[in-house]
Amino acid sequence: MNVSSLPPNSGGQPSGSGRQREASSGREAEAARLAELMTLCSRGHEDAFTELYDLTSQRIYGIILRVLRSPDHAAEVTQEVYVEVWRQSARYSPGKGSVIAWMTTMAHRRAVDRVRSVSSEMARDERYAFHSGDREIDEVWDGVEQRLDIERVRKGMASLTAIQREALTLAYFGGYTQSQVAQLLKLPLGTVKTRIRDGLIGLRDALGVEA
Amino acid sequence: MSEIHGAVGAYVVNALDPDELEEFEAHLAVCPTCSREVVEFGETAAELSLLTSASPPPAALRGSILSAISEVRPLPPEPPAEPADAEPTGNGAQTITADLRHAVDELALRRQQRRTRVLSVLVAAVVAAAVALGGVVYTLVQSRQAQVAQQAAETELLTAPDVQTYTATMKDGGQISFVVSKSLNRALFIGKDLPAVGSDRRYQLWTLEGERPIPDNLVAGGGDRKEFFRETLSGVTGLAVSIEAAGGAQQPTPSTIQTVTPLSS
Repeated sequence: MNVSSLPPNSGGQPSGSGRQREASSGREAEAARLAELMTLCSRGHEDAFTELYDLTSQRIYGIILRVLRSPDHAAEVTQEVYVEVWRQSARYSPGKGSVIAWMTTMAHRRAVDRVRSVSSEMARDERYAFHSGDREIDEVWDGVEQRLDIERVRKGMASLTAIQREALTLAYFGGYTQSQVAQLLKLPLGTVKTRIRDGLIGLRDALGVEA
Repeated sequence: MSEIHGAVGAYVVNALDPDELEEFEAHLAVCPTCSREVVEFGETAAELSLLTSASPPPAALRGSILSAISEVRPLPPEPPAEPADAEPTGNGAQTITADLRHAVDELALRRQQRRTRVLSVLVAAVVAAAVALGGVVYTLVQSRQAQVAQQAAETELLTAPDVQTYTATMKDGGQISFVVSKSLNRALFIGKDLPAVGSDRRYQLWTLEGERPIPDNLVAGGGDRKEFFRETLSGVTGLAVSIEAAGGAQQPTPSTIQTVTPLSS
């Protein structure tokens, strides 16, 4: 990763559908590569696992750290997740979704489990949400392609209603249960549940994600 | 749409409260529509993780993880689902429900693990408890650099109120202990100065349900080793160790059985 070669807000904002297409085909190529690596891992190839780690660890660690806030806990849970990915590599199948989705789901679940089991120990800032996230993610970029991907997701989030976005953000990034989200947003539980699902539908449609 | 279908979004982002989670998982096992949505929303949620990738993980974590997996054997593939279990719908739905059963299994497993997870703040308590338990366990605590994830589970086990330690000398040499907690439903194998068995052989752990041995995890020979049993202790009456080929065996080879330790009920 070469962060220094691409400072934030360095002019030359890539534009045009050509770059978008490149980013999209890059994603597909990476998804296919991850699936190959998973197959190799299931046969015990540690070098394939190393490549899998290098391709995915920033995202996996990123979501775990975002939910947990504590780098120590995040490192522990990240290690748990990768050991489990290795152990279960033969149990992955495309019917469970893409490799990155399978891994991210596992990472998010374990981070949320951890946050709930230790929440009384950790002083998590309940106000921390998407707003402060914006500032953080402006800080470092990992290359043009990823930047385009991030832009896509941010636009997708921006296309949601404020309540959908907040409910989804508190649940996904905050690791809150739907009852806690309802309390935080002062909304009925049923409304929160619906808004989370509607938010995911809206985001799915905005991103054009096909399962 | 019935109310339970509406929970699929909250399920995917792990926001369901425990009681509703149970209810939804039961529903999910029989609802192809929700199964499909879980996979689709899983892809969508994974894209959300792009918004968080601001800083790379610490460099030391990479080395720690790569060395951790070198001691873990990938599980074999799952046996194909029984045809009798398949839904009488199209093939796609069959695949999804089959996968889903496994997903639910994984969730159950995760719950199990969650029960055995503890905080690093307990470490002081562990050291105290471990000293009380004796030298072997104390050595274990001293070599704390081992896998962080396993360590939390070990900590929990060693501090469990009903923890019991069984020690034995193996037939071909080497001191071993089984650290067992019925309340946590877990057992840990600790080997001290294990004789080397060659690169193509492993110590294999077994749980015994009466007369029936159930193959469990493999442990390399040579030096000090520790390994959790993969199986829980429900119905388990004893623990055993044998020496088998590196891939493990389905039945212990009688001449290589090193120890059979009955558990007190």
